[in-house]
Amino acid sequence: MSEQAPPPDVAVAAPPGHLYGVLAEFDDTPALLRAAAKVRDAGYRQWDTFTPIPIHGLDGAMGIRRTLLPWVVFGAGIAGGLGGLAMQWWMNVFDYPYVVSGKPLLSIPAFVPIIFEVVILLAAITAFVGMLMFNKLPQLYHTWFASRAFASRVTSDRFFIGIEARDPQFDLDRAKQLLADAGSTNVEVIAEPDPPQLPAWVRKYAAPVAAVLLVAALVPPLLVAKARVTPNQNTRVQLIPDMDRQPRFLPQSANSLFLDNRSMRPLVPGTVAAGWAELDPVFYRGIADGEWTDALPVEVDRALLVRGQQRYDIFCMPCHGWDGEGRGPAAVTGQEKSPATWVMPTSLTGPVVRERPDGHIFNTITNGIRTMAPYGDQIRPADRWAIVAYMRALQLSQAVPLDLLPPGQREQMRR
Amino acid sequence: MAQATAQLTRDNLRLGGLGNTLILVSGILGVIGLAAALVMGGGGPAQRDHFFASYLMNYCYVLSLALGGLFLVLLEHLARAGWSVVVRRLAEGIAAMLPWLGLLFLPILWGLDSLYLWVDPPATMDEHLLGLLEWKRPYLNVPFFLVRVAVYMVAWLSISWFYLKLSSRQDATRDPALTMSMEKLAPVAIILFALTVTFASFDWMMSRDPFWYSTIFGVYYFSGCIVGAISLLTLAATLLQASGRMARAVTSEHYQDLGKYTFGFTVFWAYIAFSQYMLIWYGNIPEETEWYLRRQEGGWGTISVLLLVGHFFLPFFALISRWPKRRKNLLAVVCVWILVMHWFDVYWLIMPEYAPGRVPLSWMDLATLAGIGGISLAGALLWLRSRPLVAIGDPRLGESLAFENA
Amino acid sequence: MADITTEVDNTVTVPGRPPTLITGDHNLTSMTDLVSGIAEARKPPRAWYIAFGISLTVTMILLAMIVYLFLLGTGVWGLQMPVAWGFAIVNFVFWVGIGHAGTLISAILFLFRQQWRTAINRFAEAMTIFAVVCAGLFPILHLGRPWLAYWLFPYPNYLQMWPQFRSPLVWDVFAVSTYMTVSLLFWYMGMIPDLATFRDRAKTRLRHTIYGIFSLGWRGSGRHWHRYETAYLLLAALATPLVLSVHSVVSFDFAISQLPGWHTTIFPPYFVAGAIFSGFAMVLTLIIPARQFFGLKEIVTLRHLDNIAKFILATGLIVAYAYAIEFWTSWYSGNFYESFAFLNRAMGPYAWAYWIMVGCNVVVPQFLWVPSIRKNLLALWVLSLLVNVGMWFERYVIIVTSLSRDFLPSSWGYYSPTWVDILTLLGSFGLFLTLFLLFVRYLPMVAMAEVKSIMPQAHPDHGEHRGSGQYWGQSPHEHRHGPEEGHK
Repeated sequence: MSEQAPPPDVAVAAPPGHLYGVLAEFDDTPALLRAAAKVRDAGYRQWDTFTPIPIHGLDGAMGIRRTLLPWVVFGAGIAGGLGGLAMQWWMNVFDYPYVVSGKPLLSIPAFVPIIFEVVILLAAITAFVGMLMFNKLPQLYHTWFASRAFASRVTSDRFFIGIEARDPQFDLDRAKQLLADAGSTNVEVIAEPDPPQLPAWVRKYAAPVAAVLLVAALVPPLLVAKARVTPNQNTRVQLIPDMDRQPRFLPQSANSLFLDNRSMRPLVPGTVAAGWAELDPVFYRGIADGEWTDALPVEVDRALLVRGQQRYDIFCMPCHGWDGEGRGPAAVTGQEKSPATWVMPTSLTGPVVRERPDGHIFNTITNGIRTMAPYGDQIRPADRWAIVAYMRALQLSQAVPLDLLPPGQREQMRR
Repeated sequence: MAQATAQLTRDNLRLGGLGNTLILVSGILGVIGLAAALVMGGGGPAQRDHFFASYLMNYCYVLSLALGGLFLVLLEHLARAGWSVVVRRLAEGIAAMLPWLGLLFLPILWGLDSLYLWVDPPATMDEHLLGLLEWKRPYLNVPFFLVRVAVYMVAWLSISWFYLKLSSRQDATRDPALTMSMEKLAPVAIILFALTVTFASFDWMMSRDPFWYSTIFGVYYFSGCIVGAISLLTLAATLLQASGRMARAVTSEHYQDLGKYTFGFTVFWAYIAFSQYMLIWYGNIPEETEWYLRRQEGGWGTISVLLLVGHFFLPFFALISRWPKRRKNLLAVVCVWILVMHWFDVYWLIMPEYAPGRVPLSWMDLATLAGIGGISLAGALLWLRSRPLVAIGDPRLGESLAFENA
Repeated sequence: MADITTEVDNTVTVPGRPPTLITGDHNLTSMTDLVSGIAEARKPPRAWYIAFGISLTVTMILLAMIVYLFLLGTGVWGLQMPVAWGFAIVNFVFWVGIGHAGTLISAILFLFRQQWRTAINRFAEAMTIFAVVCAGLFPILHLGRPWLAYWLFPYPNYLQMWPQFRSPLVWDVFAVSTYMTVSLLFWYMGMIPDLATFRDRAKTRLRHTIYGIFSLGWRGSGRHWHRYETAYLLLAALATPLVLSVHSVVSFDFAISQLPGWHTTIFPPYFVAGAIFSGFAMVLTLIIPARQFFGLKEIVTLRHLDNIAKFILATGLIVAYAYAIEFWTSWYSGNFYESFAFLNRAMGPYAWAYWIMVGCNVVVPQFLWVPSIRKNLLALWVLSLLVNVGMWFERYVIIVTSLSRDFLPSSWGYYSPTWVDILTLLGSFGLFLTLFLLFVRYLPMVAMAEVKSIMPQAHPDHGEHRGSGQYWGQSPHEHRHGPEEGHK
């Protein structure tokens, strides 16, 4: 700190090609401000002041235009606001809709806090990063640091003005004169330092070592890629056992905690799952006033029959056949494989089924009959009724009263 | 500093003839407005209800400006702020409406039964609600209400009397000791102010729906007071400058700071409004949500959206940049807009209980506003007319005149 | 602790005269030497070693408690239905609150041009960051499986699930992490010029390199300062609403529920005021010994302490206002559960905690009306400790009393912390102080560039008006049009 700066007129000798600029030192704020205004008025462009503290009024004295940073930050804030809203909409309304505490999916009041935080986060990061970028920082070394006075005291208590040689109107003597006249206590000429040379062994081995490292760097990603496409039967490595392994009772195992020694708890008698009360006996069981109903509890229209046909073709056709005669592909195969024991399915168009009330057929689909399995768990009630309706249509198709036929076919049948 | 103060002596700091004209105009306007409102309100019980609701609403609006002005005076002394000294006299002028507002409260006393359900609840009301009113009877009853009105008025009038008197006295004496005694009293005055404004807003506005309650309500009204008062202050400064007064005293630097305050308190208002709305919306308890439901049904939903957009978003984007804050004409336009929005805010606070499901905007509102606003303004100008428009004796005046934003 | 006679009393304000913010005869050089000297000293004061040893030991207790928690699960805490939020959340809210003063001092006071902030802002910002570190710890520990804390963030995962943005707990994640990031940016950005000072004064190559890297090559360029000041102003303007939002969001955790005592609309501003109240108290708790041991009495003067004390008084009164309005409204609401919740606080099984809270947060700050108490360091220090205790109990009262009384009396309970709870709380103080002591040892504890910029020497008219002490002086406008007119 006590080191004395060289007197003003002792300039460091610098070859013209390596001249970087002229650096002048000042004692205090007023001196710097006066000098800055002089340099500004002299028309220099490539120059700067260097101070340990921000100085009020220096922007004007240097002729600095207001930075655009606020607008950039404003833009980032707007982007953050829209982005915050879009993120929450996409995640909670569109991609993963999930109702919580009766709130609408798009709950703007509940989204406001996060929108706000994202605005601030984006704007603040932009303010910081933008400041650095506009300032071209970080730049760990700068040629002005070549001056000892500058490097040791510019951030602590001395004030400097530097004019760079690349300024179009730069003239060494005129610049020195200007700064000395402006009240500088010490004017230095700063030379561009020689570009630093790396040691010989570095220059010799750098390229081959870099090549080897580059190749070696490819190995981990390749290993990862290989692991991604190779099936592996082993369980994953578990650093923390987490919830994968935890003490619990398996279904169908014993548990002495309960009187019946079962780990599974039976339902309380009469328990009905929500939405499964099935209180209407006609619709759900085909029973009206204790008898099988003989009227479909659904509206019969074309859509119902189409639906019934589709369900029939999926669930009934393999045994009962396309036409309901009982010669479906599964039944035929069964007959071929074990003719001794196989019982062919009932013909749905035959008199037995034809005489049965609708409710009875519905019940048969629901609960099964003889060797036929119950389908109640697989076919929903409305679809079961659709199948019943379609079966009635099949029956009709196998024994049509003559006057129901279209006129052309009616003639055919008569013959 | 001496130079800056000397500059001020060349400034026109008196209302002069303009003051007389304005006092006459606003006074006449006030009397005509009140008379028109009375005529409109005399038509029958329905019109009577409308008159009192509208009167209370506009009273609370003008009162909010006056209280805001008083708060700005107190705040300057509490914070020992220097920059704002040049406009403090105008804030004092706004606070000088208070005595007149004290008088103008009297008509409300005749309409208590019309304004407040708790005064005389109909026996046909739901038993549970009657029980609630019975529970609240120790607080919500007419004699205690009147006592509280008296307490609020005494508090506001004595605070404003003290500050206005000392400030005027300082014009002549230039005694810094007066500033020091005003600073000394400021914290106590602010505590008194906070409590009275809170309970006044509970009594006069919140108890319009005696079943609803919100702990932040006082802060909400307070935030509106400040937004309104700062806007009015800024507007007054621009208008006075347009008439050639205080041209050198108030600079674009002061306008920038006033703009900052307007911006800041607009955001503060939005913060308080959002806090109240969000918590009630999220909690979703019927006894609280009904208050907001009333403000979403019929035309009130439009007013609610208008407040969101007009009371927050527009001023926010209009004032976020430095540029408009330093242009007084632009700033004045924004301030007028905010004053209108603040009017709708108070309207939205008070009127839905009178007319749920429809927005009863009518000439009545204009007449009562003209009546209360005109008389109060005349009162304020009467006070300002006999004083310089800048507190010329304040020891911080030099600092304020030379003030510059960094 | 301190003998009051050695202090310069600069607390009195004469209207029209700028206050003295730096006592003693300082110039830019001596100021740099004074502040840099703390971190450049070969050895810190002995008190530092003692404090560091103690706080490091206490931090080890925290680590031990965390390991114990990880091994056995949250059952080692006193959490039990109905009080499922115990110490962890109390401590979280407490520490987040402490973390509010730093940003308030650096951002809000900056916007209000309160120049006294420069002496303490670096210090308070550091405190903020360390407090937020402590705060962030608790919700994570409370997760049950803390190693999965990253699940809280929205990131594309193989389950194709996203966080539930309608939950205030997710708001907390965003609010606290944003607050941490922005506070860190603010702190670091403010420190860049000072780190450059350290770099330029470095005696060893190691210091030169490390401070050199972190100072990003700062060289005090006027063009840099211009953008730097703009960015600083922008960050302050952004941090101001942020600081309000953070504690508001924390209050939403409670207030959006339907629980009596939690669901009340004044919670957001009331929590913010409480946070500033406790934060300023913590600043006092730390700065009074720090200025003593590191010789900063001329920078952090009695006036600074006086101002902090006034802030404590003001925010304490706001908190008292909120207590009163809440209590009054619980009666006014006519809601049985509301009034029960508040009467239960004051007279129920947790009355002891409630009255500690009222005593420390409402009664104790009233002593600060007395100017001589504001100048008495020992009294101030004790008072700040009491305020911290009171604010911790405020959160305890809010969380525990409301949870322990369900709507259904058969579900009522009483919460008692376990020894693990208590040692974890103690340990968090150890972590806080350890980080803090490292900070004062290695980083610029006072914002040198900012303090220097409010010294008379920094002003454009310095020299012309030497000794006038009027910092506005001649209008600096003149520099805009050419300084010759202003400086003959």
